[in-house]
Amino acid sequence: MLVALSADDKEGMCDMAKGSFLFHREAIKRIKSSERRWKEEYLPPEAKGPEETYFTFSGIPIKCLYTPADGGEFDYLRDLGFPGAEPFTRGIHPTMYRGRPFTIRQLAGFGGPEDCNKRLKFLLKQGATGINIVFDLPTIRGYSSEDPEAEGNVGQCGVTIDSIDDMHALFNGIPIDTISVSLVTHLPSVTTILLAMYLVMARERGIQWETLAGTTQNDFLMETTIGSAPEVMPPQDSFRLQCDVIEFVAGRLPRWNPISYNGYNLREAGTNAVQEVAVAISNGIHTTEELMKRGLDIDAFAPRLSFFWDLCNDFFEEIAKCRASRRVWYKIMKEGFGAKRQRSMWMRFHVQTSGVSLTAIEPLNNIARSTIQGLAGVFGGAQSLHIDSYDEAYSVPTEMAALVSLRTQQIIQAETNVTSVIDPLGGSYYVENLTDQMEHKIYEYMEQIRSVGGLIKAVDTGWLHKEIADEAYKYQKATEDGENKIVGVNYYPSDEVQRPIEVFTYPDTEQRQKAKLRELRGKRDNARVRETLEELRRKCTSGENIMPHVMESVRERATIGEIADIYREAFGLWTFPLF
Amino acid sequence: MRRPIKVIIAKLGLDIHWRGAVVVAKFLKDVGMEVIYLGNQFPEQIVNAALQESADVVALSTLGGNHLTLGPKVVKLLRDKGLNDVLVIMGGVIPPGDIAALKSQGFHEIFTPHSSLKDIADFIREGVYGRAGPRKA
Repeated sequence: MLVALSADDKEGMCDMAKGSFLFHREAIKRIKSSERRWKEEYLPPEAKGPEETYFTFSGIPIKCLYTPADGGEFDYLRDLGFPGAEPFTRGIHPTMYRGRPFTIRQLAGFGGPEDCNKRLKFLLKQGATGINIVFDLPTIRGYSSEDPEAEGNVGQCGVTIDSIDDMHALFNGIPIDTISVSLVTHLPSVTTILLAMYLVMARERGIQWETLAGTTQNDFLMETTIGSAPEVMPPQDSFRLQCDVIEFVAGRLPRWNPISYNGYNLREAGTNAVQEVAVAISNGIHTTEELMKRGLDIDAFAPRLSFFWDLCNDFFEEIAKCRASRRVWYKIMKEGFGAKRQRSMWMRFHVQTSGVSLTAIEPLNNIARSTIQGLAGVFGGAQSLHIDSYDEAYSVPTEMAALVSLRTQQIIQAETNVTSVIDPLGGSYYVENLTDQMEHKIYEYMEQIRSVGGLIKAVDTGWLHKEIADEAYKYQKATEDGENKIVGVNYYPSDEVQRPIEVFTYPDTEQRQKAKLRELRGKRDNARVRETLEELRRKCTSGENIMPHVMESVRERATIGEIADIYREAFGLWTFPLF
Repeated sequence: MRRPIKVIIAKLGLDIHWRGAVVVAKFLKDVGMEVIYLGNQFPEQIVNAALQESADVVALSTLGGNHLTLGPKVVKLLRDKGLNDVLVIMGGVIPPGDIAALKSQGFHEIFTPHSSLKDIADFIREGVYGRAGPRKA
């Protein structure tokens, strides 16, 4: 590079000698004045206006061209370093995708556990390298298939799990001691139940917990902010269960991520990229403080905290977001909390392409959108990836649509050569500038959350809900004003009659699950179930870690609805402060 | 003077996706309608609220796949209670094949992801004023 500074440079060294600044100050001055001349002489008059007419999706002004002069006090070793080494901007592993390709982790979930088991086996046979289970709404909100609240939703949008027997059926014949399994459990309350079922199921299959690799979502914002519901647990209690799960997993399940801080759904609900990361990281900070208060050593649990980001249409902003988030988390864990192990400073994350960005009109266009978004995740250094299917705006994916998503990942991984070089956009004047700006904006928004009393307060008062809703409203208006261009919708609107699309039809699940539940009640020891549930109720208020007691109930074949009812009674309900 | 159109907006049953419902609620309020956002409710509670509030419009939002099971229940309960003038609409991720079924069971309109806020507001105005004539305060 023309202006790169070597340590032996004699001229203009001054204070720069100690650092690893990429660019010579004198050279930067020369570039700046050349840039001014270039603007004067080369740019047409209409391009000479104020720079601030182009913005990233989160509102950061962008120039038409970036040069070394936009790097400011950019210091290679301090700001970028090497992959696998601090500050991890370029990636958390020294060999990145050469050593460990990103995990192909496509979501799957519909019908009863037997139906979903078939889809899992299909995906694995076609080359998926991880499992990602999405549950139906009754399961996610802690109702059994027989509960009146569940009516009409059993097995829709996800697989239904009523008892540990369903967990057995879901993973029947799948080697969970060798393949990693992500359980998209949303709420901490439901995580305690589904994780307990998973762990007891593994024991009953004779599988050692040490071998179990995977993730539970377990994010209290999913309960109290991102997804609304008729019956919601108070934020403080939901947060406590979130921490209970992390505390329980630490030291028992060395390969399990007890939480996946869910930026993705925050984003899909309305936030921009900066808020997405800032809110999720704020939750990470609160969790760390709470667990340290409980007496845990930070290096005992921090290495298993994981994150989940959304990939929307602003290609470079998404890449910069991923890179910036790694640097922010590193600084917080190292400088803020004094973590010693490098693994505690690793921001490991799963990414999913944006569902909100997909269109019902001309659905095959969604394949192009998702591919570009997925590529941003790979340039951002993600650990695992889900690519949304083209029929997302209609229903859960058909087998064919799910296969196209899986194949898209394989094409990125095997055909394009993009995984052969680590952080290939590192050093791009634009990407580095944007990464810096994202980092600053993330800190700013975290500070805003602190200024309203911290994350739990921000939820409890509805401040966060309002922030998300305002941003969603702004976005919708910008779309309707034509400011956000959507191909086929408001940009070259499609005039063709809607082509028929094959839409997934759900298997009938409700009656089957109800029959299984009747059978379950006939064969289990109902008195013993009751005893364990009453014990669990006492532990809700005692403040002890809840997990061992949930496992007791689960082992006796208590249903998800029975356990969640105990929570609803013990913790009470909270009014969701929306609108 | 016309009194403002009164709209009840509810998330149907357990559906968790509130973004669309809240965005529509904000817009209808901005264009002068009175909006009561119920949050997540089941058919009976939604209809009770419509009765209590003398709502002109019941707008349901669901992206959770329960449109065919719980949706028609709301319409039936409204009619059972004699609320025959209430405009009933739905928005969400609804497979194209289900739209006709919902309309045949009493929904006046189904809005999908590409419907504009303005279209929704226009439809409501036309539906309420067109049917009942201008309302007096």
